[in-house]
Amino acid sequence: MSAEYSCLVVEDSPMMRQLLVFALSRVKNLKVVEADDGVDGLRKLAAGKFDIILTDINMPIMDGLKLVKRIRIDPVHKDTPVIIITTEGSVEDRKRAIELGANAYITKPIQAPQVIAKVKELLKITGG
Amino acid sequence: MVDIEERNAQLRTQLKSNQAMRELINKIEHLESERDKLLTQVHEVEAVSSRFSNRYAEMEEELSTLANLYVASYQLHSTLRPKLVLQHLRELLAQLVGARAHAFYVANEAHTELLPVTSDGVSHERLPRIPLGASSPDVKNQAVTAAVERVYLTGIPHFNEERLGKPSSPKPSDDAPVACLPMRIDDSVVGVIVIYSLLEQKDHFVAVDYELFKMLGAHAATALMGALLFANAEGKLPGFEAIQNLRAAG
Repeated sequence: MSAEYSCLVVEDSPMMRQLLVFALSRVKNLKVVEADDGVDGLRKLAAGKFDIILTDINMPIMDGLKLVKRIRIDPVHKDTPVIIITTEGSVEDRKRAIELGANAYITKPIQAPQVIAKVKELLKITGG
Repeated sequence: MVDIEERNAQLRTQLKSNQAMRELINKIEHLESERDKLLTQVHEVEAVSSRFSNRYAEMEEELSTLANLYVASYQLHSTLRPKLVLQHLRELLAQLVGARAHAFYVANEAHTELLPVTSDGVSHERLPRIPLGASSPDVKNQAVTAAVERVYLTGIPHFNEERLGKPSSPKPSDDAPVACLPMRIDDSVVGVIVIYSLLEQKDHFVAVDYELFKMLGAHAATALMGALLFANAEGKLPGFEAIQNLRAAG
């Protein structure tokens, strides 16, 4: 069966990326594409259309906040839901990410059920 | 005669009415009984559904724990380069456990002191060498180092959850560690993982953390020592002959 939704995961830590891909494999009909920093993320965004984007903040070359800014001016992805995943848990960081255009904010260490629930909520997927 | 007939008619009507009433009461009782049965069934179905929901949530959590363990051990054993092993160890604590400041201590060859090999969130220069079996006046924070030494000597992990959620000092290495975990190779303790503080948003350890600690205790030192031996052998991989020799040796 072909995937109904596509998701881009932008994360520089291979460990966290693998864990996110594992979590997202629990969402039916979701194809996951990986990028290891903001620039690689932009490359992947230019090459395809994604229904949801998950990104870390602290990454080399281009951080997650700059990536969110770029996504919001990209005609193809300007309305695509973005979830920020980061170690920073302060209210200011959360506020800043939302102001820049992120739709949701998840702090590390991540819990797979929380990630799954947020992705389903933003993609408006009900049930398993 | 007419009166009697009228009276009879009245009595017949009353009788019919009583009969209808009785039937109605019977019907109501029957319907009430049906309703009670249905309500009981609904409660039973609700209880089953709730049990399934709880079980589903438990299984999701279990799956999440297994995924964490799989990813951690996969990354840890994915390389034989000591630098990468150390990087994976730091990442594992930072990303999967949520440790803000931590250090890995390994004993020297003479087993007389523990030396920091890598750290995150705490200045490596500030980490003391920890003498084993004897207190040293050189060591600034005896209470901190005593916990690390005890874990190395006994092999029993140390957790100080009371400190979690409380603000940490600007120099985390001066704080009492929130966790000290022995690193083993076979039955011998070769080092200690020291966690000084957790991320702001994390105020307690969860079940998956304890599972990761167990995994780290058994795998961290093996991965690190394996990588060091490989580096000492200048990256030369043993060939078939080495395995054949092992078989011959029994």
